[in-house]
Amino acid sequence: MNHFALTIVGRDRPGIVSQVTEILFKQGCNLADSSCSILGGQFTMILILGHPEFTNRESFGEAFKPLEDADLTVALRVLKPGGEIRPQIEGDICMISVYCSDKPCIVYHVAQVLSEKQVNITDLNTKLVGTEERPVYVMVLEAVLSEGIEEEDINRWLAPVRDELQVDITVRTIPTVEL
Amino acid sequence: MAVRSIRIYPDPILKQVVERVEEVDETVIAVIQDLVDTMVDSGHSVGVAAPQIGELCRALVVDVSKSKLGKDNNHGLLEMVNPEIIEKSGSKMMREGCMSVPDYTGNVTRAEHIVIEFTDRAGQPRVIEANGFEAVAIQHELDHLDGMLFLDRVSSLKTDLYRRKTR
Repeated sequence: MNHFALTIVGRDRPGIVSQVTEILFKQGCNLADSSCSILGGQFTMILILGHPEFTNRESFGEAFKPLEDADLTVALRVLKPGGEIRPQIEGDICMISVYCSDKPCIVYHVAQVLSEKQVNITDLNTKLVGTEERPVYVMVLEAVLSEGIEEEDINRWLAPVRDELQVDITVRTIPTVEL
Repeated sequence: MAVRSIRIYPDPILKQVVERVEEVDETVIAVIQDLVDTMVDSGHSVGVAAPQIGELCRALVVDVSKSKLGKDNNHGLLEMVNPEIIEKSGSKMMREGCMSVPDYTGNVTRAEHIVIEFTDRAGQPRVIEANGFEAVAIQHELDHLDGMLFLDRVSSLKTDLYRRKTR
């Protein structure tokens, strides 16, 4: 089985998921992993596909043309063997919420701190909420804390960002329980 | 008195709503004992519900007293027949894993405090108040009696479902 990463972006409307997945079904693709969401006014799809025979972009032929004709942007990445397998990241899960009334590049500043400390970000979402007069910029990210890193460490490392940018930051670990 | 094997999804018994027990007789007591034996044998488990060992019996066992998160606030070994939550409040998110859905964990928000009534092994009605991890564990096991898995409670696969830490 060869794997591909397919991304599709276009102005949101009903029917995109159905049109895309009908094509994939008819091509004989397996959906291995996916995340689809509305970002701004755009519907975005990121899909990891498997196919028993296809090996490259040409294998798909003109399959995606109807999508392009419908004003969707389509990009296909051919994965190297093993590129479809999620890495096993060991450690406690930590959620970090950051919000403020302005946008002083909170993603960059927080990510930079985490990157310096080799903390792995596994999920990240940002949203502009609040009213037009009083917008609130929110980021929620999930990180995995490797052994030896505690919630207090993250708090301490992010304290300068909190003070300098005047943003609110909360850090909480989510206990993993076996039931 | 036996350690039983744990049923794993897609075993259909895990999706069945289990009928109430009419009377705590020898058959029910035997199921409870098997639940305890199975829980203890697994080493890391803090609760098992009857459908997980293949029994359509409205019974569960929970014991969080030996776990780090529950050791300071618990009722020890709880053996419950016909458990029913009569009050709940607060909310607590934990990343739950389940022996019947191996290798995955998901963030689930449940009530932090519950009042629960049940019949114990001796056939006596009881009402207890449970908090924190013990309350979460009871709610997780009680879901099994209603054919619910934690997969029915997670809100988003992308952020909530995660390959479990290896032990």
